[in-house]
Amino acid sequence: MTDLLTPRRLISKIALCLAALVVVMFVCSLVGTQKISLSAVFAGPGNTPGQNTDYDIFVRVRIPRIILAALVGAALAASGVALQAILRNPLAEPYILGISSGAALGVMTAALAGISGAILGGSPMAAMAFLFAIGTVWLVWFTGHLAGGSTVTSLLLAGVVINAFFSAVIMLMTSLIDSEQLRSTIMWLMGSIGEKDFSTLLVSAVFIIAGIAALFTISQKLNVLAFGAGEAQSLGVNPRKITLVAFALASFITAVAVGLSGLVGFVGLVVPHSVRLVFGPDHRQLLPTSALLGAAFVVICDTIARTIISPAQLPVGVITAIIGGPVFLLLLSRYSKKVGTLR
Amino acid sequence: MLIAVILLAISQLPLIYCYVEKPGANGSPQRIVSLSPNLTEIIFALGLGDKVVGVSNNCDWPIEATQKPKMGTFWQPNTEAIIAAKPDLVVCESFLQHKEVAETLKRAGLRVISLRIESIEELYNAITQIGQAASCKDKAEPLAAKIKSELDQIRAKASSAKKVKVLWAVQTEPMRVVGVKTFVNEIIDLAGGQNVIAPTGDQYPSIGTETILTSGAEIIIQSAMGTEDIAKQQETAEKFWNRFANLPAVKDKKVYVIEADTVLRLGPRLPGGAMAVAKLLHPELFSQPKNLNQETKRTND
Amino acid sequence: MSICIQVENLDFSYGPQAQILKNLSFEIPAGTFLSIAGPNGAGKTTLLNLLSGLLKPACGSIEIDSKPISSYSVRQLAKKIAVVRQEFVPVFEFSAAQVVSMARTPYLGALAFETDADREAIAEAFEMTDTARFADRPLGHLSGGERQRIFIARALAQQTPILLLDEPTSFLDMKHQVGIYDLLKKMQIEKQKTIVSVTHDINLAAQYSDMILLLSADGSYIFGPTREILTTERIERVFGVQTFSAQTGQTKFFFPLGKFTKSHSSPPGF
Repeated sequence: MTDLLTPRRLISKIALCLAALVVVMFVCSLVGTQKISLSAVFAGPGNTPGQNTDYDIFVRVRIPRIILAALVGAALAASGVALQAILRNPLAEPYILGISSGAALGVMTAALAGISGAILGGSPMAAMAFLFAIGTVWLVWFTGHLAGGSTVTSLLLAGVVINAFFSAVIMLMTSLIDSEQLRSTIMWLMGSIGEKDFSTLLVSAVFIIAGIAALFTISQKLNVLAFGAGEAQSLGVNPRKITLVAFALASFITAVAVGLSGLVGFVGLVVPHSVRLVFGPDHRQLLPTSALLGAAFVVICDTIARTIISPAQLPVGVITAIIGGPVFLLLLSRYSKKVGTLR
Repeated sequence: MLIAVILLAISQLPLIYCYVEKPGANGSPQRIVSLSPNLTEIIFALGLGDKVVGVSNNCDWPIEATQKPKMGTFWQPNTEAIIAAKPDLVVCESFLQHKEVAETLKRAGLRVISLRIESIEELYNAITQIGQAASCKDKAEPLAAKIKSELDQIRAKASSAKKVKVLWAVQTEPMRVVGVKTFVNEIIDLAGGQNVIAPTGDQYPSIGTETILTSGAEIIIQSAMGTEDIAKQQETAEKFWNRFANLPAVKDKKVYVIEADTVLRLGPRLPGGAMAVAKLLHPELFSQPKNLNQETKRTND
Repeated sequence: MSICIQVENLDFSYGPQAQILKNLSFEIPAGTFLSIAGPNGAGKTTLLNLLSGLLKPACGSIEIDSKPISSYSVRQLAKKIAVVRQEFVPVFEFSAAQVVSMARTPYLGALAFETDADREAIAEAFEMTDTARFADRPLGHLSGGERQRIFIARALAQQTPILLLDEPTSFLDMKHQVGIYDLLKKMQIEKQKTIVSVTHDINLAAQYSDMILLLSADGSYIFGPTREILTTERIERVFGVQTFSAQTGQTKFFFPLGKFTKSHSSPPGF
């Protein structure tokens, strides 16, 4: 009885993770390829552009990047938690059900159709990646449904089939697009944290935070779902409804993240897994802490990515893998010993 | 705290809109950053070299450019470094990555011009636009005109001969060639050649062995790849193409490797590159080069 | 006594050739202890899944408290029926306490945290099943039998008037077998719960249940009070095995006899 979650325990854990995130964001905002001083930043923008470059760099480059990295990290980690729950598989990750190939297809289509000009203040790549990612996910859902009910296996199979099909279409399009654009779109897809304007960041933040909050409200039901659809139903949880809701929310926030930054890998797989090793599988706790720690993780990785081989930059996905892998293995060895060999 | 940061950001909104690009203020820019090798060459050719305060890693010509502070790579410019360099004019291209950087820099109040530079016509346009932005129209017009006239001269001379069938490979494994919708093709055409490849959707299509065998190419040009010595690459290329023994180009030993990246860059050195190609296609019209790369050096001023 | 579960003309098949249940009808009064027994493949687990609302019958109806089972929402039904199936370890390592606390899901409010009432129900369930000492251990670290008792504790914590159990004692040692059935009987007597238990153990059924439903492999069935239904002839007909029956106190027990049983005379009838 001692380890049952109480609101108090949860709030203290969330506060801890939030504090960690804030510290990380603050420290990383002071790290970059140019040295800037905080006092200069606080002096304000000055009357003419170029007068206070410390301020400009801090406000126009560092802060937007850090906010974006945090949002993407939170979205991917939360989505990973939800998908691992509904697929009852700790190896699930946000791109597994068609999002990656959908986003890629959207981006290729944008390049092929030569869509230029902004859509909703964002780049056309972003909007198309988002729309296609969402569309593909629904295609996977319906295909899985038609193929064999909403069981986990049929969903996974539908995801594999559609990913394969879309990959083929993408290869076809690759031979039709002209090469300069191709390189651009591929680089975009590889995932990078760029500088966005504040209105885009605000809108995305609202969407992502709302999505994560909504997932929180069903997180206790996600606990129950771990025992299978039949058991869940006997315990008062409608498995089909909860799977659909979790799926929709997870896909939505992942698609927003992909639209913002391309495909940043590893976060949605490793962060939920690691946090679960340390904090346990109760989703009421796992979800918010994974989101906060995922945010901190991507902020750190992005900071490393943009400074380590200055003046060049590495794609953030490279750093998430290089750091994420060993950290995860470390946690696995340390915490698995405590828990035992059964798994 | 995230909310606090966001609120801080919102409170800056009024200031964001205060940073409006002041059109053509203060006369000519004194601190120029260029994010593209082509554009850097143009800027230096316009005599603005001493005003350049930042270039991309890939800007390798002229020599002075390589000594300027680095602003990131061509594909991933470093916005922090650019802002810290306090430029009053930033020149970049217009593809996705550069466009996004341009947006960020504009939000920071910098003056940025984005130019599309993928054809010869766009080259003249770029020169004009840079000239306008940097207040040196008097230098830009003559530069563009000079390039145009040199190219026209080559075209005029080459037109007197029959068009030579050209196959230009940019990659051998898998085989990818210069397609019709590229500026390289414009040069081939201008230098008195004709691309054996029919129009394709892709700019640099990959083609099959059959297409090569039936192409009837009279000259094969291959872009140098990697860092190997040109002479060595020439040897390897000749060996490679020998398998297509029926092609006139192979029979007549007209397989050439050329340093396309520097020779055929859409910039002020283009006429030199075009001349080099013309000499390969019509050696009888243009004087015989002793050594291809020496020739290129000679045409670089 | 009000009728708690009413089954009428129930048909169910898994496919055109596999009709498991044919025209099954019976009524379970509230507060009854019913055993469902029969040979393998007779449809016991299928019937349990139908009664718990997991499967839908091909035709016929099931009513819980005089309302069709389909009229209940998932949450409402979970407050009426708790199910104990085969023990199971999920991929995520929950502790025994976390597992039992999931029984309170139908009662949790919007923020889904357990109240004091919930904790009381959970503590009570642990006590009744004698599992409090491994409450904090991960499910995967318990033996099969301990896990089974945890799942029973979960069903008890759900505080439902009806308990459906699918072979709840299959992994338990003798002490716990009798212990669990004693507990179920106590739930029936003290809290008027309706217990439906699928079992292979005909003797536990004989000892504890009031009513018995014998399902045969051919789809026929017999339903009635245990004492009347269980006879050696019936058992031989339904299960295809001869038994030796003996009586102690009020209960008749049946011992299956194989070819090599150490008895040279034919088993006496009762």
